[in-house]
Amino acid sequence: MDRARLAHYLDRLVDATVLERLAISLAALTVAVVVGGVIVFLSGAVATCREPALALGGTAFCYDPIEVYLTLARGAFGSPTNLGLTLQETTLLLFTGLSVAVAFRAGLFNIGTQGQMVLGGLASALAVLQVAPLLPAGSLGALLAIPLAVLVGAVVGGLYGALPGAMKAYADAHEVITTIMLNFVAMGVAFYLVRNHLGDPSTDAVQTPSVPEFVRLSPTIGGTRFSVIALGFGLAIAVLVYLLYERTVLGYDLRTSGLAPEAAEYGGVNAERNIVTSMTLSGALGGVAGAMYVLMILYRWQTDMPPLGFDGIAVSILAANNPLGVIPAALLFGAMKGGAIQIDFALGVPPELVEVLRGLIILFVAMPEFFRMLGARAGYGSVEDEVAADGGQKRGEEGD
Amino acid sequence: MSGQDRAPGRDSGGSKYAVRMDGITKRFPGVLANDDVDFAVERGTVHALVGENGAGKTTLMNVLYGLYEPTEGTVYVDGRPREFDSPRDAIDAGIGMIHQHFMLVDPMTVAENLVLGVEPTKWFGLATDERQAIADTRELAERYGFDIDPTERVQEISVGEQQRVEILKALYRGAEVLVLDEPTAVLTPQDVESLFDVFAELVAEGKTIVFITHKLGEALAAADGISVLRDGKLVGTVRADETTREELATMMVGREVLLEVTSEPAERGGETLAVEDLVVTDDRGVQAVDGVSFAVDAGEVFGVAGVDGNGQSELVEAVTGLREAESGTVVLEGEDVTRDSRRECIEAGVSYIAEDRQERSLVLEYDLLRNGLLGGQTLPEFSDGRLIDWGRTRSFVDGVIEEYDVRPPDAGATPRSLSGGNQQKMVVGREFERDPDLMVASQPTRGVDIGSIEFVHNRLLDLRTEGVAVLLVSSKLEEVQRLADRMAVMYDGRFVDVVDPDAVTEEEVGLLMAGEDPDSGRGGGEPRATSTDRPTDTADVD
Repeated sequence: MDRARLAHYLDRLVDATVLERLAISLAALTVAVVVGGVIVFLSGAVATCREPALALGGTAFCYDPIEVYLTLARGAFGSPTNLGLTLQETTLLLFTGLSVAVAFRAGLFNIGTQGQMVLGGLASALAVLQVAPLLPAGSLGALLAIPLAVLVGAVVGGLYGALPGAMKAYADAHEVITTIMLNFVAMGVAFYLVRNHLGDPSTDAVQTPSVPEFVRLSPTIGGTRFSVIALGFGLAIAVLVYLLYERTVLGYDLRTSGLAPEAAEYGGVNAERNIVTSMTLSGALGGVAGAMYVLMILYRWQTDMPPLGFDGIAVSILAANNPLGVIPAALLFGAMKGGAIQIDFALGVPPELVEVLRGLIILFVAMPEFFRMLGARAGYGSVEDEVAADGGQKRGEEGD
Repeated sequence: MSGQDRAPGRDSGGSKYAVRMDGITKRFPGVLANDDVDFAVERGTVHALVGENGAGKTTLMNVLYGLYEPTEGTVYVDGRPREFDSPRDAIDAGIGMIHQHFMLVDPMTVAENLVLGVEPTKWFGLATDERQAIADTRELAERYGFDIDPTERVQEISVGEQQRVEILKALYRGAEVLVLDEPTAVLTPQDVESLFDVFAELVAEGKTIVFITHKLGEALAAADGISVLRDGKLVGTVRADETTREELATMMVGREVLLEVTSEPAERGGETLAVEDLVVTDDRGVQAVDGVSFAVDAGEVFGVAGVDGNGQSELVEAVTGLREAESGTVVLEGEDVTRDSRRECIEAGVSYIAEDRQERSLVLEYDLLRNGLLGGQTLPEFSDGRLIDWGRTRSFVDGVIEEYDVRPPDAGATPRSLSGGNQQKMVVGREFERDPDLMVASQPTRGVDIGSIEFVHNRLLDLRTEGVAVLLVSSKLEEVQRLADRMAVMYDGRFVDVVDPDAVTEEEVGLLMAGEDPDSGRGGGEPRATSTDRPTDTADVD
């Protein structure tokens, strides 16, 4: 494609209205489903099976894509247990997705939700283990211990988010780099502490002792670990984050600071402090996700937590970083996780193929947004080329 | 392409002009940067392109270099019409450009930088022939009498030497015509001298040189021909030995026949702003404002003229609360606000139109509604300090859009879909309608089309009539002369003089602005004292 055409498309993309963007996302989703189906179908040619879905000439195609999607849906929502599995995943992704969205919304790329979650979860588990013996077992103890555990998770995750925030604000260290590196630090530190000092002495596994029964978020649906209380909490946070950014002076300041620090300063905002605040809020939500994982899923902290923090990035991008959009995005991801198991059982389609479908959806839906962001940053769109007219540099030519 | 290949060169001989630009018009949305410019440079001469900031000098050269496609007009190289899609085409045609910001890779050596992208290779193109690169560099440097070690890293050599590497780089790519954008802005006086020696050397070798400057002394000292641009138009081309500094100054800053000021001077009120012995340092810790004192009355426009980068930005930032002063005081309505934060200054009634509107005055990602709130988010009109009253914000913004004729009239649009003039009308409206006591307007019409300039000017004068104190900072002389009741000329962090704008000639002020005070006898080709530093952000916008 020649450059003028590319520039034209970028201009159009950057100038797209909200409705156009929604339409683009839905179309992309459809295309992703179709392309995913084709890939599933074709990969059936190299698999071996007894009853191929279709035989053409000498080639047997093992997988029927429509069947795969139907099974996926059944696996996600088909029975109370399946629904519970989907929702427990959704709940966790809600928190990590919101964590990422809080930062992205303010123009900051927090890739460190995973690390914030790991440390927040650990702190939360340790706090509960410390405090629980002092509390009466039963609902009164739960009422005291659970909020405390969530709070500790939020504080520790928040502090761990504030760190890269401060490095960004005061030392100009790019948050993408620092948060990625801090993920490794978090995992390493947590692993060391639990293995050598804080672990459960009765086992070789790198994990803490289990938290007492009464501090656990009891499952709402039998056979799963889904707690409707946790989901409700997550939904409430989503609404609060939405209101923060839409309605409050603080949210406006946070967002302005991240998007355009110079304009924020011009508008009387301490951009540096607000960048730290955004990252702290984001980290706190990551920490809460960790606490939820401990209290709702595993009942202890264990090394090698699932990559919920990284999935949160995809969830947030899929939601165009809109806090309310995170809700359906988390549900979609949760459903694919739940459905993947079922597909493996029922059709013999490897769960990795479902991962491919998931990846395709992210790719297709996120890419237009991604190019839009890139294009806007490179100065495309109907922005007036004022710098250039003043004799400065052409867009895309900035020296640094 | 290797360094030995020379582009169609001097012996192709078609025309006596190395470069000719015919009727060049370059239009950006809302801005006419070049307006029917005819520009020609004779082969084997040094040509200076002078003009004020924003006159369109760099735009014209970017057209020549293929960075911009002209809206109208034709570029001839060696008498043949050429169409450049990119700098690569211009390079192939023998045109080399040395930008103000050097395009060098600091950790790499001189030779590596020189051959970057056109490396001599060995082993059938599998590896760079470093020995050849060093030899080529040495040979080229010797031919033009440059004293440069090809194996030194760029980060270890001086700015002047880096500039010579840039020149060698262009020559290595076969440049016959060298275009330099404000080459002296980053140099020490000694380096400027030797740069001009380099010019002479290059011309002796048959090369052609075009350099951009706004320093008249330099143009007279180094150039054979001088072309003057003003507001995108070519005022004229003269021979350096047939003109005078005064003639050039008049051409450069001469008064535009804009609509004359119709409003009478307003009734003056009490002293709104008093600045005493203000000292401000810039981001690098260099003293940018050096003991400035002045006062602005209610109902008065106090203008500050001067070439960009002489401390105006820092002065404005100190007054508006964006930058902390080293010493001195800023008193607003009798209250000392020197140490006040930006937010406190806003709440105290300071409105501010910033010079870089797309960086500071607007958030390009926000719609006009959200941009209309910027700065006002803690004012009781728009919030209770915590929750934003979007309803009232909305009616405020709608009012601004209507009254200031912002197009398209859509509070949901982002500034990206607005022309520069309309963006500025939005900013001006927002700042004016907040009922300020002090209005600080910095380059309020930069990058704005003529129609919107008139609009902004008239609104500023209305504001004065309403009894607001206005501090106007602009590098456009005629703007300050037209609007200001009193005018200070700022140079090197100081007010050289405070004059009655109606009682001075353009030449006098133009020379003051160019840093060549006719009274003090300083002058000649002497570059500004500040020019030894790298230019500040504002200084390098031409």
